[in-house]
Amino acid sequence: MSAVLGLSGGYHDAAAALFVDGALVAAIHEERLSRVKHDPGLPFRAARACLDLAGLRAADLERVTFYEDPYAKLERVLVHGLRGLPGGWRSLARGLEVQLGQKLFVLDRIAGQLGVDRRRVGFVRHHESHAASAFFASPFERAAVLTIDGVGEWTTTALWMGDGERLTQRSHLELPHSLGLLYAGITAWLGFPINGGEHRVMGLAAHGRPTRRAALDRLATLHPDGAFTVDAAAFDHFRDLTRGFGPGVEALLGPARPPGRPWDLSDPADRDRADVAASVQQLTEDAVLGLAHAAHAATGCEALCLAGGVALNCVAVSRLAAEGPFREVFVQPAAGDAGGAWGAGALAAVEAGDGRPAPLTHARWGRPVDPARAAALASALGLPARRVDDPAREAARRLSQGQVVALCAGRAEWGPRALGQRSLLAPATDPAMPDHLNRVVKLREPFRPFAPAVLASHASAHFDGAPDHLTPFMTTTRRVRDPTALPAITHVDGTARLQTVTAPAAPTLHATLSALHAAGGPPLALLTSLNGPGEPIVDSAADALAFLVERPVPALLVGDLLITRPGGGPP
Amino acid sequence: MRFVTSLKELLAHFVHRERLVLLPLLVVLALAGLLLAATGGLSVVAPLVYTLF
Repeated sequence: MSAVLGLSGGYHDAAAALFVDGALVAAIHEERLSRVKHDPGLPFRAARACLDLAGLRAADLERVTFYEDPYAKLERVLVHGLRGLPGGWRSLARGLEVQLGQKLFVLDRIAGQLGVDRRRVGFVRHHESHAASAFFASPFERAAVLTIDGVGEWTTTALWMGDGERLTQRSHLELPHSLGLLYAGITAWLGFPINGGEHRVMGLAAHGRPTRRAALDRLATLHPDGAFTVDAAAFDHFRDLTRGFGPGVEALLGPARPPGRPWDLSDPADRDRADVAASVQQLTEDAVLGLAHAAHAATGCEALCLAGGVALNCVAVSRLAAEGPFREVFVQPAAGDAGGAWGAGALAAVEAGDGRPAPLTHARWGRPVDPARAAALASALGLPARRVDDPAREAARRLSQGQVVALCAGRAEWGPRALGQRSLLAPATDPAMPDHLNRVVKLREPFRPFAPAVLASHASAHFDGAPDHLTPFMTTTRRVRDPTALPAITHVDGTARLQTVTAPAAPTLHATLSALHAAGGPPLALLTSLNGPGEPIVDSAADALAFLVERPVPALLVGDLLITRPGGGPP
Repeated sequence: MRFVTSLKELLAHFVHRERLVLLPLLVVLALAGLLLAATGGLSVVAPLVYTLF
């Protein structure tokens, strides 16, 4: 038996993925267990949970692979910091303190904490782990692979050729020319957190028009060969990589928006910021399209895999799939840094001679939820709870009555999207539902859209196009055929980030949508992640009960256990 | 023992024609770090550093 563990962490979105004899056994985000959103630590809880699920001990691991090169990263911090002198001396000192004090010895910490022989702990390069997570999880035997993120060791963007079990880097771009850091800089300028607020910019972009594109074009230049250059001085990257933007950005776009201020899109200042969001979104889409055309010309492949934080921009991916030169596009659900753990593990498995893993067809790779534990907790909390014969029909009945239902079923999702294992479901036909969920349940900005889950067999009746490799994982958007019929899941631009649902991929969600359809409704529902404001997605029964106690949602299904909130709707 | 492996890998990374120029800086930083670690903190090292500069 050959067991290999891939790990990512030490910056944001720590995660672990375990492969046994070349097959994926478990993949878990550290944040789901530590309850720290985008957990920046190392994924020791997740690693142990993966081993527990496989019934293995750390001593059984043949190889543990970290998702980036700590020595090249130290080199980058050193050189990058020296370029920023004298103004950036504080940033250099802080960077070196972190690198020399902690990150340089990350492989030792992993060996020590897990109890693995240090000689079994190694690393792969950051973008190589991204590329492996995209290609080895894909259904393609041969594909071009684009990895686009903030920065790895030095690389910000890379083109790879994937062929069977081999990945070969063809070309790359280095810091400071980073699409991820450009988007993150505007995210920070808009007052959203870096490495966590980028999707809010994408949602906001649909409310604006790209009228500030000329200003954005002064910050980044797209070249005819697909490459791009970023004005690092404007972003102040050499002096401080953590703030995201510098005085040059404010000189072009105006003063940064203070974080935490409530959004009001009837205010001209906020409308102008929505226009900036639309402009950076358009620039990003154009850059991704340029890279894709270059990738197609260089590889001649018909299929493209994408990974890196920019690959989580489902609007850009949607445009790439519609207008780009590739016949097929694949983005695995954890395309950001957490996915690096998957890629590092897959590379270790291939290197161990176990072959490439089977294509990823569902996201159920986390810990299972325990209804018995939920029953005990509900009893201790005095919450009404009872077993139901058909949880899917119960969920559908409540949805038909216009209720919100929290659904906790089987193993938790891999990736940042809830895909029917830890989800909140609501009627897609209720126009007041987005406002209710944003303002009362999730406590988030009023412009944030909600996504639909639809039976794959009926997707084409409600959304443009047929299900493809992207739609099961919510990594693309589609135009809604009749927005007036589905107001709760239609974004302001007439699109939706849909999930197409099949029984093997999400059994409980599939049964629920089928029951809705059997009852005469459309086979779809609004679906959003089961978490409170600022929290990671629910993982365990205790997390789910904590959510129910805290948030005004009438019912929670944990497996076949129905728990209701007193005064929150019919029992 | 574990740290030795990392230090060996670190050296292997920097003993490279394009990266050799960074080695002196790295050695100074490592020695400063060692001094701080060995003496238990800045308060002990401060008078020495003050005299040196």
